[in-house]
Amino acid sequence: MSAPTAVLELVHITRHRAGRPAVADLSLRLDAGQVLGLLGVNGAGKSTTLAMVAGALVPDGGGIRLQGRDFIEHPELARRVVGWLPERAPLWPELTVREHLDAHGRLRGLRAAELAQARARIVERLELGPLARRLAGVLSQGQRQRLGLACALLHQPALLVLDEPANALDPVQVASLRALIREQAAAGTAIILSTHLLAEVTAACDRVAILHEGRLRHDAPVQSEDHKQLEQVFFDIAMRGDGNPARMQAA
Amino acid sequence: MSVFAVTRLELRRLLVRPLAWVLAALTVAQLAGRFMLLLQIFLTNQIRLAAQPGGPGYTDLVAIPMLSSILTSGLLPMLPFGLAELALVVVPLLTMSTLASERGNGTLPLWFAAGLPASRIVLGKYLALLLWLVPWLLVTLAMPLSLAHGLALDWGKLASASLGLLLMLAALVAIGVACSAYASHPAIAATASLMLGLALVSANVGALVAGIDNGIVNWLSMSTHLDTLIRGLVSSADVAWFVLVIAVALALATQRLAAERERG
Repeated sequence: MSAPTAVLELVHITRHRAGRPAVADLSLRLDAGQVLGLLGVNGAGKSTTLAMVAGALVPDGGGIRLQGRDFIEHPELARRVVGWLPERAPLWPELTVREHLDAHGRLRGLRAAELAQARARIVERLELGPLARRLAGVLSQGQRQRLGLACALLHQPALLVLDEPANALDPVQVASLRALIREQAAAGTAIILSTHLLAEVTAACDRVAILHEGRLRHDAPVQSEDHKQLEQVFFDIAMRGDGNPARMQAA
Repeated sequence: MSVFAVTRLELRRLLVRPLAWVLAALTVAQLAGRFMLLLQIFLTNQIRLAAQPGGPGYTDLVAIPMLSSILTSGLLPMLPFGLAELALVVVPLLTMSTLASERGNGTLPLWFAAGLPASRIVLGKYLALLLWLVPWLLVTLAMPLSLAHGLALDWGKLASASLGLLLMLAALVAIGVACSAYASHPAIAATASLMLGLALVSANVGALVAGIDNGIVNWLSMSTHLDTLIRGLVSSADVAWFVLVIAVALALATQRLAAERERG
Protein backbone atom coordinates (compact mmCIF):
# COMPACT_ATOMS: atom_id res chain seq x y z
CA MET A 1 0.00 0.00 0.00
CA SER A 2 1.48 3.39 -0.96
CA ALA A 3 1.83 6.16 1.64
CA PRO A 4 -0.79 8.92 1.45
CA THR A 5 0.28 12.19 -0.20
CA ALA A 6 1.47 14.62 2.43
CA VAL A 7 -0.51 17.85 2.76
CA LEU A 8 2.74 19.69 3.45
CA GLU A 9 6.34 18.77 2.77
CA LEU A 10 9.23 21.07 3.58
CA VAL A 11 12.38 19.90 1.85
CA HIS A 12 15.60 21.46 3.17
CA ILE A 13 14.18 24.98 3.19
CA THR A 14 16.43 27.87 4.08
CA ARG A 15 15.64 31.52 4.59
CA HIS A 16 17.98 34.34 5.58
CA ARG A 17 16.86 37.43 7.43
CA ALA A 18 19.05 40.41 8.28
CA GLY A 19 22.06 38.54 6.96
CA ARG A 20 21.72 35.45 9.16
CA PRO A 21 19.89 32.19 8.56
CA ALA A 22 16.45 32.50 10.19
CA VAL A 23 15.57 29.01 8.96
CA ALA A 24 18.27 26.55 7.89
CA ASP A 25 17.90 23.23 6.10
CA LEU A 26 14.47 22.51 7.57
CA SER A 27 12.62 19.40 6.42
CA LEU A 28 9.20 18.35 7.70
CA ARG A 29 6.21 16.37 6.55
CA LEU A 30 2.62 16.82 7.65
CA ASP A 31 -0.26 14.51 6.73
CA ALA A 32 -3.99 15.17 6.71
CA GLY A 33 -5.47 15.29 10.20
CA GLN A 34 -2.12 15.75 11.94
CA VAL A 35 -1.49 18.59 14.38
CA LEU A 36 2.15 19.63 14.56
CA GLY A 37 3.28 21.92 17.34
CA LEU A 38 6.25 24.09 16.41
CA LEU A 39 8.13 25.04 19.55
CA GLY A 40 11.04 27.38 20.00
CA VAL A 41 12.28 30.37 21.88
CA ASN A 42 11.78 33.87 20.42
CA GLY A 43 13.81 34.20 17.23
CA ALA A 44 14.04 30.43 16.69
CA GLY A 45 12.55 30.79 13.19
CA LYS A 46 8.96 29.69 13.89
CA SER A 47 7.18 32.71 12.37
CA THR A 48 9.52 32.76 9.36
CA THR A 49 8.79 29.07 8.76
CA LEU A 50 5.05 29.62 9.01
CA ALA A 51 5.17 32.69 6.73
CA MET A 52 6.88 30.53 4.09
CA VAL A 53 4.34 27.74 4.54
CA ALA A 54 1.53 30.31 4.17
CA GLY A 55 3.02 31.73 0.97
CA ALA A 56 3.77 35.18 2.41
CA LEU A 57 7.52 34.67 2.13
CA VAL A 58 9.64 32.83 -0.41
CA PRO A 59 12.42 30.50 0.79
CA ASP A 60 15.99 31.24 -0.33
CA GLY A 61 16.56 27.55 -0.94
CA GLY A 62 14.88 24.17 -0.72
CA GLY A 63 11.33 23.29 -1.67
CA ILE A 64 7.80 23.35 -0.34
CA ARG A 65 5.21 20.89 -1.61
CA LEU A 66 1.50 21.36 -0.95
CA GLN A 67 -0.65 18.31 -1.63
CA GLY A 68 2.18 16.96 -3.77
CA ARG A 69 2.57 20.13 -5.90
CA ASP A 70 5.46 22.58 -5.92
CA PHE A 71 4.25 25.56 -3.90
CA ILE A 72 7.07 27.88 -5.01
CA GLU A 73 6.20 27.25 -8.67
CA HIS A 74 2.47 27.55 -7.95
CA PRO A 75 1.94 30.21 -5.24
CA GLU A 76 -1.73 30.35 -6.23
CA LEU A 77 -2.15 27.05 -4.32
CA ALA A 78 -2.21 29.14 -1.15
CA ARG A 79 -5.56 30.55 -2.20
CA ARG A 80 -7.64 27.44 -1.53
CA VAL A 81 -5.28 25.06 0.28
CA VAL A 82 -3.85 27.21 3.09
CA GLY A 83 -5.48 29.16 5.90
CA TRP A 84 -3.12 31.38 7.88
CA LEU A 85 -3.46 33.19 11.18
CA PRO A 86 -0.34 35.32 11.57
CA GLU A 87 0.88 36.50 14.95
CA ARG A 88 -1.28 39.38 16.29
CA ALA A 89 -3.98 38.83 13.60
CA PRO A 90 -3.44 41.72 11.17
CA LEU A 91 -6.77 43.35 10.26
CA TRP A 92 -8.06 46.39 8.37
CA PRO A 93 -9.23 48.65 11.21
CA GLU A 94 -11.81 50.50 9.09
CA LEU A 95 -13.70 47.34 8.08
CA THR A 96 -16.28 45.44 10.11
CA VAL A 97 -16.03 41.81 11.16
CA ARG A 98 -18.47 40.79 8.44
CA GLU A 99 -16.60 42.78 5.79
CA HIS A 100 -13.39 41.01 6.76
CA LEU A 101 -15.01 37.63 6.27
CA ASP A 102 -16.49 38.69 2.93
CA ALA A 103 -13.18 40.12 1.72
CA HIS A 104 -11.23 37.01 2.72
CA GLY A 105 -13.84 34.77 1.11
CA ARG A 106 -13.67 36.65 -2.18
CA LEU A 107 -9.88 36.75 -2.16
CA ARG A 108 -9.93 32.97 -1.62
CA GLY A 109 -12.18 32.59 -4.65
CA LEU A 110 -15.45 31.65 -2.92
CA ARG A 111 -18.59 32.31 -4.97
CA ALA A 112 -21.45 34.33 -3.46
CA ALA A 113 -23.49 31.30 -2.35
CA GLU A 114 -20.43 29.47 -0.99
CA LEU A 115 -19.36 32.60 0.81
CA ALA A 116 -22.75 33.12 2.48
CA GLN A 117 -22.75 29.50 3.65
CA ALA A 118 -19.15 29.60 4.86
CA ARG A 119 -19.69 32.90 6.66
CA ALA A 120 -22.78 31.64 8.47
CA ARG A 121 -20.94 28.47 9.53
CA ILE A 122 -17.86 30.23 10.84
CA VAL A 123 -19.77 33.05 12.56
CA GLU A 124 -21.80 30.47 14.44
CA ARG A 125 -18.81 28.28 15.28
CA LEU A 126 -16.66 31.13 16.58
CA GLU A 127 -19.57 33.03 18.11
CA LEU A 128 -18.90 36.16 16.08
CA GLY A 129 -22.58 37.01 15.53
CA PRO A 130 -22.76 39.85 18.08
CA LEU A 131 -19.56 41.36 16.64
CA ALA A 132 -20.56 41.15 12.97
CA ARG A 133 -21.13 44.89 12.54
CA ARG A 134 -18.30 46.02 14.78
CA LEU A 135 -15.21 47.66 13.26
CA ALA A 136 -12.05 45.59 13.55
CA GLY A 137 -10.24 48.64 14.91
CA VAL A 138 -12.28 48.58 18.13
CA LEU A 139 -12.10 44.83 18.83
CA SER A 140 -10.29 43.55 21.91
CA GLN A 141 -7.15 41.49 21.36
CA GLY A 142 -9.03 38.24 21.98
CA GLN A 143 -11.80 39.23 19.56
CA ARG A 144 -9.21 40.16 16.94
CA GLN A 145 -7.65 36.75 17.35
CA ARG A 146 -11.04 35.05 16.89
CA LEU A 147 -11.70 37.09 13.75
CA GLY A 148 -8.26 36.22 12.39
CA LEU A 149 -9.00 32.56 13.05
CA ALA A 150 -12.38 32.86 11.32
CA CYS A 151 -10.70 34.39 8.24
CA ALA A 152 -8.17 31.55 8.18
CA LEU A 153 -10.86 28.86 8.44
CA LEU A 154 -13.48 30.43 6.17
CA HIS A 155 -12.55 28.58 2.98
CA GLN A 156 -12.05 25.23 4.77
CA PRO A 157 -8.35 24.91 3.96
CA ALA A 158 -6.57 21.56 3.86
CA LEU A 159 -3.68 23.13 5.79
CA LEU A 160 -4.19 25.48 8.71
CA VAL A 161 -1.20 27.55 9.79
CA LEU A 162 -1.53 29.13 13.23
CA ASP A 163 1.13 31.46 14.60
CA GLU A 164 0.80 31.83 18.37
CA PRO A 165 -3.01 31.50 18.20
CA ALA A 166 -3.48 31.46 21.99
CA ASN A 167 -1.92 34.91 22.41
CA ALA A 168 -4.25 37.28 24.29
CA LEU A 169 -6.95 34.64 24.76
CA ASP A 170 -8.44 34.04 28.21
CA PRO A 171 -8.47 30.47 29.63
CA VAL A 172 -12.02 29.81 28.38
CA GLN A 173 -11.08 30.95 24.89
CA VAL A 174 -7.90 28.86 25.00
CA ALA A 175 -9.97 25.76 25.85
CA SER A 176 -12.34 26.61 23.03
CA LEU A 177 -9.39 27.06 20.64
CA ARG A 178 -8.01 23.64 21.60
CA ALA A 179 -11.41 22.07 20.96
CA LEU A 180 -11.56 23.79 17.58
CA ILE A 181 -8.11 22.52 16.65
CA ARG A 182 -9.06 18.94 17.55
CA GLU A 183 -12.32 19.30 15.63
CA GLN A 184 -10.55 20.56 12.51
CA ALA A 185 -7.95 17.80 12.73
CA ALA A 186 -10.70 15.19 13.07
CA ALA A 187 -12.23 16.60 9.87
CA GLY A 188 -8.92 15.95 8.07
CA THR A 189 -7.26 19.36 8.22
CA ALA A 190 -3.51 19.30 8.69
CA ILE A 191 -2.54 21.88 11.29
CA ILE A 192 0.79 23.46 12.05
CA LEU A 193 0.79 25.50 15.20
CA SER A 194 3.58 27.67 16.50
CA THR A 195 3.83 28.43 20.18
CA HIS A 196 6.27 28.89 22.99
CA LEU A 197 3.83 27.38 25.51
CA LEU A 198 4.58 23.73 26.21
CA ALA A 199 1.11 23.19 27.64
CA GLU A 200 -0.38 24.23 24.30
CA VAL A 201 1.56 21.50 22.54
CA THR A 202 0.76 18.69 24.97
CA ALA A 203 -2.92 19.66 24.97
CA ALA A 204 -3.54 20.13 21.27
CA CYS A 205 -0.83 18.49 19.17
CA ASP A 206 -0.01 14.99 17.93
CA ARG A 207 3.58 15.85 17.14
CA VAL A 208 6.10 18.37 18.29
CA ALA A 209 8.98 19.89 16.39
CA ILE A 210 11.47 22.08 18.23
CA LEU A 211 13.36 24.74 16.32
CA HIS A 212 16.49 26.39 17.60
CA GLU A 213 18.42 29.04 15.69
CA GLY A 214 16.48 28.13 12.58
CA ARG A 215 17.32 24.43 12.70
CA LEU A 216 15.08 21.48 13.53
CA ARG A 217 16.44 19.94 16.73
CA HIS A 218 13.63 17.59 17.72
CA ASP A 219 10.66 15.98 15.97
CA ALA A 220 8.60 13.34 17.81
CA PRO A 221 5.04 12.31 18.59
CA VAL A 222 3.62 14.09 21.63
CA GLN A 223 2.07 10.95 23.11
CA SER A 224 5.50 9.57 23.89
CA GLU A 225 6.42 12.52 26.06
CA ASP A 226 4.66 13.91 29.07
CA HIS A 227 4.77 17.59 29.84
CA LYS A 228 7.75 17.27 32.20
CA GLN A 229 9.82 15.33 29.70
CA LEU A 230 9.04 17.72 26.87
CA GLU A 231 9.95 20.63 29.11
CA GLN A 232 13.35 19.02 29.78
CA VAL A 233 14.01 18.47 26.07
CA PHE A 234 12.95 22.02 25.28
CA PHE A 235 15.23 23.53 27.92
CA ASP A 236 18.14 21.36 26.86
CA ILE A 237 17.75 22.60 23.31
CA ALA A 238 17.10 26.21 24.29
CA MET A 239 20.00 26.43 26.75
CA ARG A 240 22.58 24.19 25.08
CA GLY A 241 21.26 23.79 21.57
CA ASP A 242 21.15 20.04 22.16
CA GLY A 243 18.21 17.67 22.69
CA ASN A 244 20.20 15.21 24.81
CA PRO A 245 18.78 11.99 23.31
CA ALA A 246 20.22 9.86 26.12
CA ARG A 247 18.09 11.66 28.72
CA MET A 248 15.04 11.25 26.47
CA GLN A 249 15.71 7.51 26.18
CA ALA A 250 16.08 7.18 29.93
CA ALA A 251 12.83 9.02 30.53
CA MET B 1 -11.59 37.59 -10.86
CA SER B 2 -9.07 38.12 -8.07
CA VAL B 3 -8.32 41.62 -9.43
CA PHE B 4 -11.97 42.55 -8.86
CA ALA B 5 -11.87 41.07 -5.35
CA VAL B 6 -8.93 43.38 -4.60
CA THR B 7 -10.72 46.33 -6.27
CA ARG B 8 -13.87 45.68 -4.27
CA LEU B 9 -12.01 45.49 -0.97
CA GLU B 10 -9.97 48.61 -1.69
CA LEU B 11 -13.05 50.54 -2.80
CA ARG B 12 -14.83 49.53 0.38
CA ARG B 13 -11.87 50.76 2.44
CA LEU B 14 -11.99 54.09 0.57
CA LEU B 15 -15.73 54.44 1.10
CA VAL B 16 -15.51 54.05 4.86
CA ARG B 17 -12.52 56.37 5.28
CA PRO B 18 -13.52 59.92 6.28
CA LEU B 19 -10.56 61.42 4.39
CA ALA B 20 -11.96 60.44 0.98
CA TRP B 21 -15.35 62.01 1.76
CA VAL B 22 -13.88 65.15 3.31
CA LEU B 23 -11.68 65.68 0.26
CA ALA B 24 -14.62 65.07 -2.07
CA ALA B 25 -16.90 67.48 -0.19
CA LEU B 26 -14.35 70.28 0.09
CA THR B 27 -13.17 70.08 -3.50
CA VAL B 28 -16.69 69.86 -4.95
CA ALA B 29 -17.70 72.91 -2.85
CA GLN B 30 -14.66 74.76 -4.14
CA LEU B 31 -15.40 73.75 -7.72
CA ALA B 32 -19.01 74.89 -7.30
CA GLY B 33 -17.69 78.29 -6.17
CA ARG B 34 -15.45 78.40 -9.23
CA PHE B 35 -18.40 77.54 -11.46
CA MET B 36 -20.50 80.39 -10.05
CA LEU B 37 -17.67 82.88 -10.56
CA LEU B 38 -16.95 81.70 -14.10
CA LEU B 39 -20.64 81.89 -14.93
CA GLN B 40 -20.90 85.38 -13.51
CA ILE B 41 -17.93 86.55 -15.60
CA PHE B 42 -19.41 84.90 -18.69
CA LEU B 43 -22.83 86.53 -18.20
CA THR B 44 -21.29 89.96 -17.54
CA ASN B 45 -19.32 89.81 -20.79
CA GLN B 46 -21.82 87.85 -22.85
CA ILE B 47 -23.03 90.72 -25.04
CA ARG B 48 -19.54 92.04 -25.73
CA LEU B 49 -18.28 88.52 -26.54
CA ALA B 50 -21.21 87.79 -28.82
CA ALA B 51 -20.23 90.82 -30.92
CA GLN B 52 -16.74 89.38 -31.59
CA PRO B 53 -16.61 87.00 -34.53
CA GLY B 54 -15.05 83.71 -33.36
CA GLY B 55 -14.81 84.98 -29.78
CA PRO B 56 -14.73 82.59 -26.81
CA GLY B 57 -18.04 81.09 -25.78
CA TYR B 58 -19.50 79.15 -22.85
CA THR B 59 -17.24 76.15 -23.46
CA ASP B 60 -14.03 78.20 -23.38
CA LEU B 61 -15.05 80.50 -20.56
CA VAL B 62 -16.96 78.19 -18.23
CA ALA B 63 -16.96 74.47 -19.11
CA ILE B 64 -13.26 73.86 -19.80
CA PRO B 65 -11.94 76.24 -17.11
CA MET B 66 -13.79 74.04 -14.62
CA LEU B 67 -11.36 71.28 -15.53
CA SER B 68 -8.17 73.28 -15.69
CA SER B 69 -6.97 76.80 -14.94
CA ILE B 70 -4.61 76.96 -17.90
CA LEU B 71 -7.05 78.86 -20.12
CA THR B 72 -7.97 81.32 -17.38
CA SER B 73 -4.70 81.69 -15.48
CA GLY B 74 -3.68 84.83 -17.36
CA LEU B 75 -7.10 86.43 -17.33
CA LEU B 76 -8.44 85.41 -13.95
CA PRO B 77 -5.56 84.59 -11.62
CA MET B 78 -7.64 85.09 -8.49
CA LEU B 79 -10.19 82.36 -9.28
CA PRO B 80 -10.21 79.16 -7.20
CA PHE B 81 -8.39 76.19 -8.74
CA GLY B 82 -9.73 73.94 -11.48
CA LEU B 83 -9.95 70.16 -11.21
CA ALA B 84 -6.46 69.56 -12.66
CA GLU B 85 -4.79 71.75 -10.03
CA LEU B 86 -6.85 70.19 -7.21
CA ALA B 87 -5.97 66.71 -8.44
CA LEU B 88 -2.28 67.38 -7.84
CA VAL B 89 -3.05 67.61 -4.10
CA VAL B 90 -6.09 65.33 -3.75
CA VAL B 91 -4.72 62.27 -5.57
CA PRO B 92 -1.58 61.94 -3.38
CA LEU B 93 -3.78 62.15 -0.27
CA LEU B 94 -6.05 59.41 -1.58
CA THR B 95 -3.31 57.11 -2.80
CA MET B 96 -0.88 57.49 0.12
CA SER B 97 -2.45 54.67 2.17
CA THR B 98 -2.86 52.21 -0.69
CA LEU B 99 0.14 50.07 0.15
CA ALA B 100 2.06 52.07 2.77
CA SER B 101 -0.70 51.67 5.37
CA GLU B 102 -0.99 47.94 4.60
CA ARG B 103 2.67 47.72 5.50
CA GLY B 104 1.97 49.59 8.76
CA ASN B 105 -1.08 47.42 9.64
CA GLY B 106 0.85 44.25 8.90
CA THR B 107 -1.84 43.27 6.36
CA LEU B 108 0.46 43.20 3.33
CA PRO B 109 1.47 39.53 3.88
CA LEU B 110 -2.24 38.61 3.86
CA TRP B 111 -2.41 39.58 0.18
CA PHE B 112 0.59 37.38 -0.65
CA ALA B 113 -0.84 34.53 1.40
CA ALA B 114 -4.04 34.72 -0.66
CA GLY B 115 -1.94 33.49 -3.59
CA LEU B 116 -2.26 36.77 -5.50
CA PRO B 117 0.60 37.89 -7.73
CA ALA B 118 1.88 41.41 -7.02
CA SER B 119 0.60 42.63 -10.40
CA ARG B 120 -3.01 41.78 -9.51
CA ILE B 121 -2.75 43.43 -6.11
CA VAL B 122 -1.41 46.63 -7.68
CA LEU B 123 -3.91 46.58 -10.55
CA GLY B 124 -6.86 45.92 -8.24
CA LYS B 125 -5.94 48.79 -5.96
CA TYR B 126 -5.29 51.10 -8.93
CA LEU B 127 -8.73 50.37 -10.41
CA ALA B 128 -10.43 51.06 -7.07
CA LEU B 129 -8.84 54.50 -6.84
CA LEU B 130 -9.83 55.29 -10.42
CA LEU B 131 -13.40 54.20 -9.69
CA TRP B 132 -13.44 56.67 -6.81
CA LEU B 133 -12.01 59.55 -8.88
CA VAL B 134 -14.08 59.17 -12.06
CA PRO B 135 -17.30 60.30 -10.29
CA TRP B 136 -15.32 63.32 -9.05
CA LEU B 137 -14.63 64.24 -12.68
CA LEU B 138 -18.26 63.56 -13.62
CA VAL B 139 -19.61 65.77 -10.82
CA THR B 140 -17.30 68.57 -11.98
CA LEU B 141 -18.52 68.15 -15.56
CA ALA B 142 -22.14 68.05 -14.40
CA MET B 143 -21.94 71.69 -13.27
CA PRO B 144 -21.34 73.28 -16.70
CA LEU B 145 -23.45 70.58 -18.39
CA SER B 146 -26.46 71.56 -16.26
CA LEU B 147 -26.83 74.65 -18.46
CA ALA B 148 -26.07 72.88 -21.73
CA HIS B 149 -29.72 72.86 -22.85
CA GLY B 150 -29.81 76.67 -23.08
CA LEU B 151 -26.31 77.35 -24.41
CA ALA B 152 -24.22 76.26 -27.36
CA LEU B 153 -21.56 73.83 -26.17
CA ASP B 154 -18.55 72.70 -28.19
CA TRP B 155 -18.98 69.00 -27.39
CA GLY B 156 -15.83 67.89 -29.20
CA LYS B 157 -13.63 70.31 -27.30
CA LEU B 158 -15.22 69.38 -23.99
CA ALA B 159 -14.78 65.66 -24.72
CA SER B 160 -11.11 66.21 -25.54
CA ALA B 161 -10.55 68.19 -22.33
CA SER B 162 -12.40 65.54 -20.31
CA LEU B 163 -10.20 62.83 -21.83
CA GLY B 164 -7.16 64.89 -20.89
CA LEU B 165 -8.32 65.16 -17.28
CA LEU B 166 -9.16 61.45 -17.13
CA LEU B 167 -5.67 60.58 -18.36
CA MET B 168 -4.11 63.02 -15.93
CA LEU B 169 -6.03 61.47 -13.01
CA ALA B 170 -5.06 57.97 -14.18
CA ALA B 171 -1.37 58.98 -14.37
CA LEU B 172 -1.38 60.70 -10.98
CA VAL B 173 -3.06 57.66 -9.38
CA ALA B 174 -0.45 55.34 -10.88
CA ILE B 175 2.34 57.59 -9.56
CA GLY B 176 0.63 57.69 -6.15
CA VAL B 177 0.33 53.90 -6.01
CA ALA B 178 4.00 53.54 -6.93
CA CYS B 179 5.04 56.03 -4.23
CA SER B 180 2.89 54.16 -1.71
CA ALA B 181 4.57 50.89 -2.71
CA TYR B 182 8.01 52.32 -2.00
CA ALA B 183 7.24 54.43 1.08
CA SER B 184 7.35 53.11 4.63
CA HIS B 185 4.74 55.63 5.81
CA PRO B 186 1.67 57.14 4.09
CA ALA B 187 2.83 60.72 4.74
CA ILE B 188 6.09 60.03 2.92
CA ALA B 189 4.13 58.50 0.03
CA ALA B 190 1.87 61.57 -0.19
CA THR B 191 4.81 63.97 -0.14
CA ALA B 192 6.73 62.03 -2.78
CA SER B 193 3.65 61.72 -4.96
CA LEU B 194 2.87 65.46 -4.67
CA MET B 195 6.44 66.42 -5.51
CA LEU B 196 6.57 64.07 -8.50
CA GLY B 197 3.22 65.39 -9.77
CA LEU B 198 4.35 69.01 -9.43
CA ALA B 199 7.68 68.20 -11.08
CA LEU B 200 5.93 66.53 -14.01
CA VAL B 201 3.54 69.44 -14.48
CA SER B 202 6.17 72.16 -14.18
CA ALA B 203 9.13 70.42 -15.86
CA ASN B 204 8.79 72.57 -18.97
CA VAL B 205 8.48 75.98 -17.28
CA GLY B 206 12.18 76.74 -17.54
CA ALA B 207 12.26 75.63 -21.18
CA LEU B 208 9.25 77.78 -22.02
CA VAL B 209 10.85 80.81 -20.33
CA ALA B 210 13.93 80.19 -22.47
CA GLY B 211 11.71 80.06 -25.55
CA ILE B 212 12.10 76.32 -26.18
CA ASP B 213 8.82 74.62 -26.87
CA ASN B 214 9.85 71.41 -28.60
CA GLY B 215 12.70 69.89 -26.56
CA ILE B 216 13.00 66.74 -24.50
CA VAL B 217 12.11 68.65 -21.34
CA ASN B 218 8.89 69.79 -22.95
CA TRP B 219 8.13 66.21 -23.96
CA LEU B 220 8.75 65.01 -20.41
CA SER B 221 6.33 67.53 -18.95
CA MET B 222 2.73 66.51 -18.33
CA SER B 223 1.57 70.07 -19.11
CA THR B 224 2.73 69.77 -22.72
CA HIS B 225 0.44 66.80 -23.31
CA LEU B 226 -2.43 67.90 -21.09
CA ASP B 227 -2.61 71.43 -22.56
CA THR B 228 -3.04 70.05 -26.07
CA LEU B 229 -5.97 67.91 -24.96
CA ILE B 230 -7.49 70.75 -22.92
CA ARG B 231 -7.38 72.96 -26.01
CA GLY B 232 -9.37 70.35 -27.94
CA LEU B 233 -6.68 68.55 -29.90
CA VAL B 234 -6.55 64.77 -29.36
CA SER B 235 -3.20 63.40 -30.48
CA SER B 236 -2.19 59.75 -30.17
CA ALA B 237 1.31 60.89 -29.11
CA ASP B 238 -0.15 62.70 -26.10
CA VAL B 239 -2.38 59.75 -25.17
CA ALA B 240 0.62 57.43 -25.54
CA TRP B 241 2.63 59.63 -23.14
CA PHE B 242 0.01 59.18 -20.43
CA VAL B 243 -0.26 55.43 -21.08
CA LEU B 244 3.53 55.17 -20.81
CA VAL B 245 3.61 56.99 -17.47
CA ILE B 246 0.82 54.77 -16.11
CA ALA B 247 2.52 51.58 -17.30
CA VAL B 248 5.93 52.55 -15.89
CA ALA B 249 4.49 53.60 -12.51
CA LEU B 250 2.40 50.43 -12.14
CA ALA B 251 5.32 48.25 -13.22
CA LEU B 252 7.53 49.87 -10.58
CA ALA B 253 4.87 49.33 -7.90
CA THR B 254 4.49 45.68 -8.94
CA GLN B 255 8.24 45.15 -8.94
CA ARG B 256 8.55 46.66 -5.44
CA LEU B 257 5.75 44.51 -4.06
CA ALA B 258 7.12 41.33 -5.60
CA ALA B 259 10.55 42.14 -4.16
CA GLU B 260 8.96 42.63 -0.75
CA ARG B 261 7.52 39.12 -0.87
CA GLU B 262 10.93 37.79 -1.87
CA ARG B 263 12.83 39.75 0.75
CA GLY B 264 10.29 39.55 3.54
